[in-house]
Amino acid sequence: MGHGVQVQDLPGIGKRYDLDLGQRAGRISVVVRNDGNRDLYVFTGQSGDPTAVVELTEEQARKLGALLGGTFFEG
Amino acid sequence: MHADLVAIGAVVLAAGLLARAGRRIGLPSIPCYLVVGILLGPGTPGPVLIEDPAELSVLAALGLVLLLFHLGVEFPVEQVLGSGRRLFLAAGCYIGLNVTAGLLLGFALGWGTAEALVIAGGLGISSSAIATKLLIELHRLTNAETPVVLGIIVIEDLFLAFYLALLAPVLSDATSPLGFVRDVAISFGFLVLLFAVARYGARAVGALVGSREDELLAVLVVGLVLLVAGLSEQVRVSDAIGALLIGLVISRTRVRERVERLVLPLRDVFAAVFFVTFGLSIDLGALETVALPAAVAVLATLTCNLAAGVVTARLFGLNQRAAANIGLTVLGRGEFSLILVTLAIGAGLDGRIGPFIALYVLGLAVLAPLLAAKSRYLARFIPDGLLRSRWRYVREETISTACTHLDQISVTGTDLRECPQCVAEGHGWVQLRLCLTCGAVGCCDDSVGKHASAHFTRTRHPIVESLEPGEDWRYCYLDRALVRPPLGREPDATPR
Ligand SMILES: [Zn+2]
Ligand SMILES: [Zn+2]
Ligand SMILES: [Zn+2]
Repeated sequence: MGHGVQVQDLPGIGKRYDLDLGQRAGRISVVVRNDGNRDLYVFTGQSGDPTAVVELTEEQARKLGALLGGTFFEG
Repeated sequence: MHADLVAIGAVVLAAGLLARAGRRIGLPSIPCYLVVGILLGPGTPGPVLIEDPAELSVLAALGLVLLLFHLGVEFPVEQVLGSGRRLFLAAGCYIGLNVTAGLLLGFALGWGTAEALVIAGGLGISSSAIATKLLIELHRLTNAETPVVLGIIVIEDLFLAFYLALLAPVLSDATSPLGFVRDVAISFGFLVLLFAVARYGARAVGALVGSREDELLAVLVVGLVLLVAGLSEQVRVSDAIGALLIGLVISRTRVRERVERLVLPLRDVFAAVFFVTFGLSIDLGALETVALPAAVAVLATLTCNLAAGVVTARLFGLNQRAAANIGLTVLGRGEFSLILVTLAIGAGLDGRIGPFIALYVLGLAVLAPLLAAKSRYLARFIPDGLLRSRWRYVREETISTACTHLDQISVTGTDLRECPQCVAEGHGWVQLRLCLTCGAVGCCDDSVGKHASAHFTRTRHPIVESLEPGEDWRYCYLDRALVRPPLGREPDATPR
């Protein structure tokens, strides 16, 4: 239950994607803004305030995606 | 007389630099542009870079037109229509309170009826630009109240369109009641025409401007927008409405996304010129004479916003922190207030509304980021009784669930520890779920009966809570999302 990716519309800003990591590990939310920038929200524990927020440009987001996807091995 | 490029360049550069410095302390751009205009203009002692603001009038008009055009292009029609009763109630309450306060204040000032109507709009419509920036910079994009805040902003934009249409005849110089009626008819007729084009002619318009080359697309679109805005002005509907509606037309074509991207930098540059020009026309001496009404207006808006925030939080089942966040995020006033006043001054209304709104916008544009960042402290002082009295709230906590059905929670516990349907059918179950709308208990989807899901399918009650010992998670069937505490939950099972 609830372990897929959820999408929510943020009118005028973009879309919010939630990835639930399970009860203990927390949750990651990615906001893809209409201007291309991404906001990465990391939640650990029960608090509704994010533990960390990282703002990424489209380019940086692509690189991070490649790293996480394991397709980007060159230094 | 030719506009002096040196002066214009210096003023715009100064505006950009001040806005950049302002960013460091969390200030939005609009007040910075205004301040530069006021300081370097003819109405203020010190260096005067531009003697006559009229030199910039064409560039400033371009800024106004592009601001509204872009608003029209990105206007989410479907989202507004599908946003549901609760959001319309919340936005209606927000707009109603603020416009009423503005109208009362406008009449109390005694500058005239048309002036009061302009002030009502100027006080009633918040700045989308400031609110959006605040949400991003305060890291609130995943808060539970954020979709509600954005929804209110969108409905405000819709309200702006109608308000502009309503104001057009008021701002025209019709002297007889018959002339006034005729102006209203022309204004709304023109609106209907453009809506019809948006509905049926979008494809043709798209074919007219839809070049594959970005260069030509930009040229064609800007030409079309200026033409429609100018024509609107000629039939005495304001250029602002014309620009907004041609934006709506473009938003229904397939070039929408490209136009949005291409026009954005143009809009930002010319909007900056528009704000600076507005500042240039402000006399520092005149600011003093309107200081008191502007201060009253700021307090009135703050009060209305907080009240609307509490009402909205109650409607959506949110807590005190969310109520404070809603009220304070949409506190900023900016582009729309200045546009309304520019139209009013252009129509020859009482000149005092210029400095009045300038001071009001400056005050709120500085206050909004400061207060919004400190919403936690305000949340402490909102009593539970204003929200849902049966819940105990964790007042200062941020709620970050993606579920928007928290208002449908009315049961927070049960002592039932069996699935009645499974008992009746004579078999067992794996885990139990509690419906938080009506208190029904059913078995989970790993059980034979799947009675909790069946209950949702039958009743559309969206949220269940796990009854497993040690588990306190909630799940929303409609959003397919985990609903995390704190939700204003009762820590013990017995309702108060
Ligand atoms: Zn929900
Ligand atoms: Zn069952
Ligand atoms: Zn139920």
